[in-house]
Amino acid sequence: MSDRIPELGDHYPTAATVVTDPILDDLWDDPPGLWGKLKAVQNDAIGKRLILTGFFFLILGGSVDSVVMRMQLAFPNNTLVSAQTYSELFTNHGSVTMFLVILPIFEGFAILMLPLLLGAREMPFPRLGAYSYFTFLMGGLLYYSGTLFSAVPDAGWFAYTPLSGPNFSPDLAIDVWVLGLGVAEVGAIAAAIEIIIGIMKVRAPGMTLARMPLFAWAMLVTAFMILFAFTPLIIGSLLLELDRGFGTQFFNPEAGGSSLLWQHLFWIFGHPEVYIQFLPATGIVSMVIPVFVRRRMVGYPWIVASLVAIGFLSFGLWAHHMFAAGLAPIVLGFFAAASMAIAIPAGIQIFAWVATIWEGKPVWKTPFLFVLGFLFLFVLGGITGVMVASVPFDLQAHDSYFVVAHLHYVLIGGVAFPIFAGVYHWLPKYTGKLLNERLGKWNFWLLFIGVNVTFFPMHIVGLMGMPRRIYTYPEGLGWETYNLISTIGVFIIVAGIAVFIWNLAYSLRRGEVAGNNPWGGDTLEWAVSSPPLQHSWSVPPIVESRHPLWDQTELHRGEDERLVRALSEWPLRWRAALVTGTATGRPEEIFRVANPSIWPFVAAVGTVVIFAAELFKVRWGAFVGAAIVVVGVVLWNRPQTAPITEQEEVEFEERHGIPVRVGGSLQVAKWGMGLIVLFVAIAFASLLLSYFYLMIENPDWPPAGMVLPGLGLPSLAVGLVVISGIAISRARAAMRGDSRAGLLSGAAVATLLMVGAGVVQSSQLGALAFDSKTDAYGSIFYTLAGFILVVAGAAVIMGLLTIYWTWRGEYTARRHAPVDNVVRFWLTAVVVWAIGFGVLYLTPYLT
Amino acid sequence: METLWWLMLALGGAVFLLFLGLLLRGLARGPAGRASERNWLVGGGLVMPLVVITVVLGFTLVAMARLANAPTEDQLIVEVDGHQWWWEVRYPDLGVVTANEIHLPVERPILLRVRSVDVIHSFWIPSLAGKIDLLPDKTNTMSFSASEPGTYRGVCAEFCGLQHAKMRLTAFVTSEEEFDEWARQQAQPATVEASRGGELFLSAACPDCHTVRGTPADGSNGPDLTHLASRTTLAAGTLPNSTEDLSAWVRNPHEFKEGVEMEAAELSEADLADLIAYLESLQ
Repeated sequence: MSDRIPELGDHYPTAATVVTDPILDDLWDDPPGLWGKLKAVQNDAIGKRLILTGFFFLILGGSVDSVVMRMQLAFPNNTLVSAQTYSELFTNHGSVTMFLVILPIFEGFAILMLPLLLGAREMPFPRLGAYSYFTFLMGGLLYYSGTLFSAVPDAGWFAYTPLSGPNFSPDLAIDVWVLGLGVAEVGAIAAAIEIIIGIMKVRAPGMTLARMPLFAWAMLVTAFMILFAFTPLIIGSLLLELDRGFGTQFFNPEAGGSSLLWQHLFWIFGHPEVYIQFLPATGIVSMVIPVFVRRRMVGYPWIVASLVAIGFLSFGLWAHHMFAAGLAPIVLGFFAAASMAIAIPAGIQIFAWVATIWEGKPVWKTPFLFVLGFLFLFVLGGITGVMVASVPFDLQAHDSYFVVAHLHYVLIGGVAFPIFAGVYHWLPKYTGKLLNERLGKWNFWLLFIGVNVTFFPMHIVGLMGMPRRIYTYPEGLGWETYNLISTIGVFIIVAGIAVFIWNLAYSLRRGEVAGNNPWGGDTLEWAVSSPPLQHSWSVPPIVESRHPLWDQTELHRGEDERLVRALSEWPLRWRAALVTGTATGRPEEIFRVANPSIWPFVAAVGTVVIFAAELFKVRWGAFVGAAIVVVGVVLWNRPQTAPITEQEEVEFEERHGIPVRVGGSLQVAKWGMGLIVLFVAIAFASLLLSYFYLMIENPDWPPAGMVLPGLGLPSLAVGLVVISGIAISRARAAMRGDSRAGLLSGAAVATLLMVGAGVVQSSQLGALAFDSKTDAYGSIFYTLAGFILVVAGAAVIMGLLTIYWTWRGEYTARRHAPVDNVVRFWLTAVVVWAIGFGVLYLTPYLT
Repeated sequence: METLWWLMLALGGAVFLLFLGLLLRGLARGPAGRASERNWLVGGGLVMPLVVITVVLGFTLVAMARLANAPTEDQLIVEVDGHQWWWEVRYPDLGVVTANEIHLPVERPILLRVRSVDVIHSFWIPSLAGKIDLLPDKTNTMSFSASEPGTYRGVCAEFCGLQHAKMRLTAFVTSEEEFDEWARQQAQPATVEASRGGELFLSAACPDCHTVRGTPADGSNGPDLTHLASRTTLAAGTLPNSTEDLSAWVRNPHEFKEGVEMEAAELSEADLADLIAYLESLQ
């Protein structure tokens, strides 16, 4: 393999096409018509929808709101909008951009492009992808539905309690915020699970972790961060909604609640959220730079290490949003140091990019311009970021326009510019037409100038003492000129976005034909046609390099050649996809990817019904919604008729050395359940954190004079639960020994025991002397107990389904992936119950 | 604090110029050989930020230690309560209660004790000190002192609802003697003669929320009005304290600060004039 990088006009390897392509197209296409659109699961469709919906919300919430706000602030004492409208505008602007714009755009990029980039045919859980899109869309619409009945959220995108609590925001506006965005958050987590498993398990043979494109690395870290950050937010939102709708006292200081608990839960999400938006952007930058300077990325392992380091560090600096909240000085010192430390992995990435540019020779196309704009703006924003990490300085800058300037440099420079770079870079792959370069340059310069004109003056006016979130300001403070300049700047940005939209429309019709590889790119997506086939790769590629198109002359040569070609031949004439080793990229399994289905849509409708029922206070509706979700999820996961016999599976395995599993991949299923268990664990940990936080904040815990709950019944319940865990483990052992009767009886005994435990536990909860409304102790007690029962309830549903499907004969010693998963979840429920028992019933005796 | 800022600005500026120089040079020159990972990534990416943040963190910790002053003998305790949307300011050792303005003797160590009666606010006088949040469930403290006499502008820095923008306050930093004189005068009950305006004040809804020490009015939801006429602004910096503005405010507060709890007064012109005359007598 030579070091030479091919020039733009050189020959690049292309993906093989095979005679069976039309048949594969039929197999992999989504069905036609409106009904077909609701059933669609293909990554192309889902990815594009996520991106377009994100852009739609950007125009609606990001742009219109900000223009009106800037017009209001153009002059002192301006009365263009009322105080109420202004509160709604900035709340909406922050909430929409943070929840409904950047995240779905990047998850869309990932779902759309990963199969191409990784040399896979499809994401591993296409139905989960469809579910994530519909929940995101419906969550966004539920959120915006507030405008229809004049309940527009107005407590800021951070919704600090007690302002957002029932006493100070009694109308539905905050419920709209909590519940609408809550649905979208569920969607974000679903997509994250899909993305993690896609990257870990569904890659081309030979694509080791060390050969993975950097965008995939960035999305891998991001998706894990989504799981770890959004889950505490969902728990925080749950507690807030319980306070608002059910009279609990989590955030009510007068009844043992804490005003700062919300801030902790919110910023444990909120700060990683910034990096959740930023890391995929760096992934795009690391993909675009090498192509446009014709050099390999310098320091690939350094960049990977930086991404991982940022992922970890970002969870250790949430309290830098709370420097003025009166935390202990030692805590402030720690968070200041942690916040500054993130400059190191960020700095490594920046120098790796500059070094790559230094080595190469730039090709001055629009994607590259946007990357340069990114570097300029992001480094500025990063430097002011280190400044605001310094506690004494932050006590001045915090909640002033200095921070507004800082965060927009980071989010527009650091995130929006790479998105534009990515769109100019990759859109031709999907439309087959290049975007116009001349318009692209106008687009870039207008945005670059506009962003600086708008946001640079905010640094100064912030240092002059202008606080954030004020709808008006008096004259004579020297703020007028800076504000007027900022307002003029925003119109330059609007012009830039208008040019972008015009460029899209123009180029879709008259754009230059792109061809497979218009930029001479190095990664796999440039080997396929533009636009690509629905199933991305008729013959999956075999990867031997980090830059396959620069280093390989053939994409399908190697020891796995027979295997990858067999993927489009009998007996795999169904939606077959390859599972590869997490680190090694060696083929491990062939499994059947789920086909289009209406049930993800149904489950998403059920999800939104649960949240909408709470919003409109039609409480029984939540049960209907939950039932719809259960039905939807069960039906989308129900066993499907196998297209080939077990005998044929065995024959294939003998010929190719790789197992075929039509009944579901053991590997992928294991990862899927692993991530669901992780989700449950994080949610549970967030609740435990809340419990102990409230315990520390309250000198009397449990409140003085309270009769402690008895230990008898809960001990009996936890005993039953532990025995049920043993029973379900024995059922799994029986299944492996091919004993259907053993599986059946083990699952039945375990289910009965779990139900029994639930009945015992509930009977005690119903008879306690305190309830969830008296004080924060009661609130967290019942919420934790409820969480445990819900997890156990999910296990029971899985147990019943296992019994049913075993009785129907769906599981054999060979096809049993779902049973393994049920056991994994079951044991999680047992552990959750045991820990919950210890915290609820035993900790009061420790103090 | 000053040193910290100029240091950070200088270091930040230097880092930015270095980055920009390298980038432009890299763009301008032709393709080069291999860049050394050690120089670029270890030198630029690891060592440089490490040095910069170590220096900044060192100065940060020193500045933090200075902020956390130990209590001193002569410190002046000032208590501030945040309300939607105004400030109650008390000097517990001096028996002074006022609103929306804070008087401080120059160079005297101040111990500020802040708390909120409703939602979270944040106390910020940019030219005197940093921010401190006012929480409903915990008293926060901040120590500082003002080095120059003068008048300083303050604001609420944490979004606290509809009129967050109009929750302002003014700080008056004066000599020790002027401060003592002010405090002595403010600690007095109101000295008012019986008047029609005073009767109107007591018979209307005013005393439900406002206190005028020395009279039966002892409400606590609104600002203490005992020495209203000595203050420079109305409604937390919304209006200057002039006769016209005061009567316009009493006639309809919502015209100037939509959403405040105070209701519009339904008074005849003559009654209003008497009431205003009474309020202006509260020196």
